[in-house]
Amino acid sequence: MANVLWLQGGACSGNTMSFLNAEEPTVVELITDFGLNILWHPTTGLQIGDQVQDLLKDIISGKVQMDILVYEGSIIQGPDNTGTMNFFADRPMMDWVKDLSKVAGYVVAIGDCATWGGINAVAPNPSESTGLQFLKKNKGGFLGADYVSKGGLPVINIPGCPAHPDWITQILVAISVGRIGDVLIDDYHRPKTFFTNFVQDGCTNVTNFAQKVDGGFGRRGGCLFYEVGCRGPMTRASCNNILWNRQSSKTRSNHPCLGCTEPGFPHHDLKKGSVFNTMKYLGTFPKEVPEGRTKLAYYMEAGFQKVMPTNKPITETSK
Amino acid sequence: MSITELNISPVGRVEGDLDVKVYIDNGKVTRAHTQAAMFRGFEKIMEGKDPQSGLIVTPRICGICGGSHLYCASSALDTAWGTKLTPNALLLRAIGQASETLQSIPRWFYAIFATDLANKKYADKPLYKEVVKRWSAYVGETFQVGLTASGLPVQIYALFGGQWPHSSYMVPGGVMCAPTLKDITRAHAILTQFKNDWLEPVWLGCSIERYMEIKTWDDMLDWVDENESQKNSDLGLLIRAGIEFGLDKFGQGVGKFLATGTYLHKDMYNNPTIEGRNAALISSSGFFDGENYHEFDHMKISEHVKHSWYKDQEDGLHPWDEPLPTPTKSQTLHDSNFDEKYSWSKAPRYDGHAAEAGPLARVIMNANPANKDHQIQDPLFGDIMKKLGPSVFTRVLARVHEAPRIYKFIEQWLSEIDLDGEFYIKPVEKDGKGFGATEAARGALAHWIEIKDGVIKNYQVMAPTTWNVGPQDGDDNPGPIETALLGTSIEDPSDPVEVGIVARSFDSCLVCTVHAHDAESGVELSRFKL
Ligand code: SF4
Ligand code: SF4
Repeated sequence: MANVLWLQGGACSGNTMSFLNAEEPTVVELITDFGLNILWHPTTGLQIGDQVQDLLKDIISGKVQMDILVYEGSIIQGPDNTGTMNFFADRPMMDWVKDLSKVAGYVVAIGDCATWGGINAVAPNPSESTGLQFLKKNKGGFLGADYVSKGGLPVINIPGCPAHPDWITQILVAISVGRIGDVLIDDYHRPKTFFTNFVQDGCTNVTNFAQKVDGGFGRRGGCLFYEVGCRGPMTRASCNNILWNRQSSKTRSNHPCLGCTEPGFPHHDLKKGSVFNTMKYLGTFPKEVPEGRTKLAYYMEAGFQKVMPTNKPITETSK
Repeated sequence: MSITELNISPVGRVEGDLDVKVYIDNGKVTRAHTQAAMFRGFEKIMEGKDPQSGLIVTPRICGICGGSHLYCASSALDTAWGTKLTPNALLLRAIGQASETLQSIPRWFYAIFATDLANKKYADKPLYKEVVKRWSAYVGETFQVGLTASGLPVQIYALFGGQWPHSSYMVPGGVMCAPTLKDITRAHAILTQFKNDWLEPVWLGCSIERYMEIKTWDDMLDWVDENESQKNSDLGLLIRAGIEFGLDKFGQGVGKFLATGTYLHKDMYNNPTIEGRNAALISSSGFFDGENYHEFDHMKISEHVKHSWYKDQEDGLHPWDEPLPTPTKSQTLHDSNFDEKYSWSKAPRYDGHAAEAGPLARVIMNANPANKDHQIQDPLFGDIMKKLGPSVFTRVLARVHEAPRIYKFIEQWLSEIDLDGEFYIKPVEKDGKGFGATEAARGALAHWIEIKDGVIKNYQVMAPTTWNVGPQDGDDNPGPIETALLGTSIEDPSDPVEVGIVARSFDSCLVCTVHAHDAESGVELSRFKL
């Protein structure tokens, strides 16, 4: 049994929508079978408006226990650090978050906006957005590098744009059934259980990656790394192990991974030539190489394999 | 009786943090203001960036209509670059757009709207008990089925786009995917599951085909009484309870409607142009002024900022001519001066008029007698508008009416995909201006782009919510929701549930509480749950 408060700041509600797609368990089961008590949620919550204001005040004063604060969306600090570009219940949202974070059992940041600022924080960052405990790769964010919740953990970051519903529900369940001790987090505060492997692990194109066979839009097969900017080899996420909407993943549907679980998303700040295009070094070599490889080693291997006559594309047929 | 001032905050965040203020005189709303309370500045972020940035950035404007933003963003680039689109590309984009809208119907109905009808305001109505049993949040019998089924249509989206929400699979020149036979077969199976789990047994109580025979309001009433199964379906209950609870008596609005239309025909938009768009639409575009239909022309759209927190901008500019937004200082609902600026939303106007966007606008266009053979021809809401006129009830009925038709479309489009055909033709990038539009689940959505020196110079987005919750314009004429609230009877000033119902009938994904303040003393009178 855990009391959950869910708030949205600079958000698009995408993480809420993703959460509503949850299958194992469904949101209904989470509440009826897994003992999650949602104190309030902006889309589905039962207690609302003024009752929410009273509730927030009761949580802050300690009258109501809040085991988990789920936060979706960036912390909007603009203009000039006043937070008035995001009023919530008659007060800047950032002021509520400051107070609530002091009494939270655990704070769970969901989605890139809450974790590292996300798209909202792309330069020129008109809303002065930041994540709860990171801004891009830099630790600190809104709550500061030293923040720990009452439960003894820093903000648990579940990145992704949006976060996968299973990543969200499983962490909520882990806390509510007392297994939070089994959740290990990495340097970016991501639960290792979801963010140790790379998106590439489980991608149906890996044979073509190894064979250096190029893919492209609108045709089957081939790896999306060489031309259309797939970030699967340098993005830690379980998208090809725990499929999306029970069905697929970006790379399985021939969509290059955008690297949305990494703090640099959107990478290269969307500069000219960086969208759905592999940025090249010397016009041929991918500027970014798979994580854990040196550039030189990778280029030598790639150059060698590209000219190997035995390499044949292995592609799925449409029929 | 004195005027009572109600500050409704928070009203919820899904539509961009909507707050509402109403003044009540003798039990009726005499003045209303809508306030959008959050600013992120997406258009500003795209300035100077890669022309394709909109494909990644704009879906993140709204996690509910993300696929619709993608549809617009890719279309805007198609028209700017002069791409070629194959039939397969147009079909797959339409399938994505339709799946997102289909998902939204049960999700919106159960999670957002129907729980209002379980409000104690209706406790004395004969159907109240049944409504509570079915539609109470989380525990209602069909709430659970409907909310769970709402995850199915987006599984189809995921087969082609990898995931929902937030895919970018539609690109200028077509789509990224090249589905296989197994993807198509699985999509058919998921669609069938949606029909068998919810659409036919729970929602309609009859076959899709039987429901689609309904052509007039009288047919609709006859359909309800035809048998127990239809009468006891959730749609049957919505019609009976909706009328019993008087939902047809309030929330009229401006009575003018705008639809930008959607679903470009697979064989009619292979060379995308702004001029050729209207004729290629399957769900037609148009402006309905309450009596006559007018052909849609995006050049007749303008935006006003007199009452919006932006500066350095004239009123009434077309989006291509608008500067990127420069924010000014904002206030809370409580502190706002409504003669001045009071919302982050701009006020869009069509040919000078405030217009309602949404499913109701869409089905009104479907009843346009001038629609061509390849366009939807469905007279039902022409008749309903004549007999009932706009109201909360009409709006809700319009929203749910689309589910069977969208279902049939997805089924048909899936079967038309040619596995030997092409899905993508690489376009040549160039500078220029583009326009793309669609119908998001909740209405008219449009993007305007200007590309210069190979980067984005200007990007303007106009969402359905902007049309509906926009504030007053340069002449101080109110926006659609502001107008729809006028005249609404607040039966019990300590429980003005009607205000929330009106806002939600525009597909406002929100829950709210109202503060009542005495106009003179400013002292809070009471607090209540909507
Ligand atoms: S498509 Fe992307 S994730 Fe898949 S093998 Fe290639 S680089 Fe890796
Ligand atoms: S495949 Fe990549 S971009 Fe897509 S959700 Fe996973 S991490 Fe994000």
